[in-house]
Amino acid sequence: MNVVSQYRDLLGIQLRSMRDEVWMIAIIQVMLGVGLMLGTGYLIPNISDMSATFLVTGCAVQAFVTMGLVMLPQLLAQSKAEGRIEYFLTMPVSREAYLLALITVVAITALPGVAFTLGFGAWVYGLSFGFEPAFLAVTVLCILSLAGVGVALAMFSPHQQLVNATTQLIIFYVLFFSPVILPASQLPEVLQQSAKLAPPTYAADGVRATLTDLPGTNLGKDLVVMSGFAVGSIALSAFAIRRRG
Amino acid sequence: MTLNPGAPPVLEIRDLVKRYRNGTLANDRISLALRPGEIYGLLGPNGAGKTTLVRQVLGVLKPTSGTITLDGRDAVADPGFARASIGFLPQGQFDLLSLRVGELIDYSARLRGMSTADARRRRDELAGQLDLGPFLQTSMHAASGGVRRMAGFAAAIAAPARLLVLDEPTNDVDPIRRQLLWNAIGELGANGATVLLVTHNLAEAERFIDRLAIIDGGRIVREGTPGALRSLVTDKLRLELVLTGAVTPHPALTREHADSGTYLFDQRDLPAVSNWLTAVREAGFLSDFRIGPPTLDDIYAAVMTPSRQLEAVS
Repeated sequence: MNVVSQYRDLLGIQLRSMRDEVWMIAIIQVMLGVGLMLGTGYLIPNISDMSATFLVTGCAVQAFVTMGLVMLPQLLAQSKAEGRIEYFLTMPVSREAYLLALITVVAITALPGVAFTLGFGAWVYGLSFGFEPAFLAVTVLCILSLAGVGVALAMFSPHQQLVNATTQLIIFYVLFFSPVILPASQLPEVLQQSAKLAPPTYAADGVRATLTDLPGTNLGKDLVVMSGFAVGSIALSAFAIRRRG
Repeated sequence: MTLNPGAPPVLEIRDLVKRYRNGTLANDRISLALRPGEIYGLLGPNGAGKTTLVRQVLGVLKPTSGTITLDGRDAVADPGFARASIGFLPQGQFDLLSLRVGELIDYSARLRGMSTADARRRRDELAGQLDLGPFLQTSMHAASGGVRRMAGFAAAIAAPARLLVLDEPTNDVDPIRRQLLWNAIGELGANGATVLLVTHNLAEAERFIDRLAIIDGGRIVREGTPGALRSLVTDKLRLELVLTGAVTPHPALTREHADSGTYLFDQRDLPAVSNWLTAVREAGFLSDFRIGPPTLDDIYAAVMTPSRQLEAVS
């Protein structure tokens, strides 16, 4: 059986295993993105187009962050604790196909939230987004880099509770202390520097570079760094999943 | 299936040692060989090292030392070959959430190389054989523990495999389905499948097992055919007793487990035990009893140390 067929069947298993929840997760993603955008917008009276653009794109990226760095590692840690992962690892399937199937689930559940937040934000704030073909590459790399890091977090954590606690910290960090929702210039120097190590920084910058004309973006750097995070984290996860105790 | 003792083993384990990083010695120089078509039982109390052994055979854990060969091929160096050769039912009740029973069987067969059409045919065949037809559309988390177990079993045997590893297949399964499951295992054996069966259900497994090993403290403490192992207690008889009041057992009786109504006694004490039973019956305290030859349970109890027996019961 070739790897493509394995990927197709493993993705089928993942989606069917979540068939009762997947639509709900997608709706929650939409609500989170839109809610965060509107709520934060209320804090800024007479919001400028530039600020609104920054806010809307940041909230859209937040859907990727929530799925890739929060929900996916939590689901995986639970699967690991309950023996589901080991069950699949006893089957003659490619480990990489298994990881890719998990990451595809993240994409499927996150994309409606991203698209709806962008569309609704454009309507509410009267914005218009341009579209560069590079946006597709940015989207793929957003998913691969964020979900890759999420998978690695779950695979290397010894306990489910540790994953749950870490992901709470991640969401807290991304919301209030990273240049995803807030402009980097408003963050203290230490946070500006630490943001250079966080994949959501490049995800948000890449989305802004390909959809907006906001100044200060660096698409080339975003693509390179996100690729690095994607390759590195997926390689680490593949190592973890292949590792025999 | 007639076993061919001269045939090369399907699974051969030699001097297998597994020591975990925390220092726990889970398997201590285990050696065993499963011949083609053999149903091999692996018995032992909780924590004896059975699951560790199984996980090494499946390539999930790496042995500290020793060898595992499958059809003569090094399964430690090539865990992918091991996974492709083995059908596996894990011990735990894994929850595959909304995946339906039929889908689990179907996907399992396909991931093990069957075509879509063959997988569907096999799923329907197994649904009939294991009485899973009414549950094919039931999601795994809505199914009862017994149906989940049967679905897991069906998934393990869905595609042809050189070796089947079944870890406690009858857990949570009701008596009628348990019989279907044992029949299916017996049929697999009759058709030439090699089966490594980890179980505590000795009474039911006894009919199907060709050979068995009893593991304790990570080591094989006894190995042989049920008949050969029964010779360990050949001078004993088994008494199953149902009493309706507190009665002090006859001194010749040895209780098998701390809280069971099953006893062993020497054959030469049969007249004395019979007289005691008569007296208990006349006193109105005897509801039912049965005397017979020892079973695998008795062999197991005779081999295990008293502390291990208590652990096994708990």
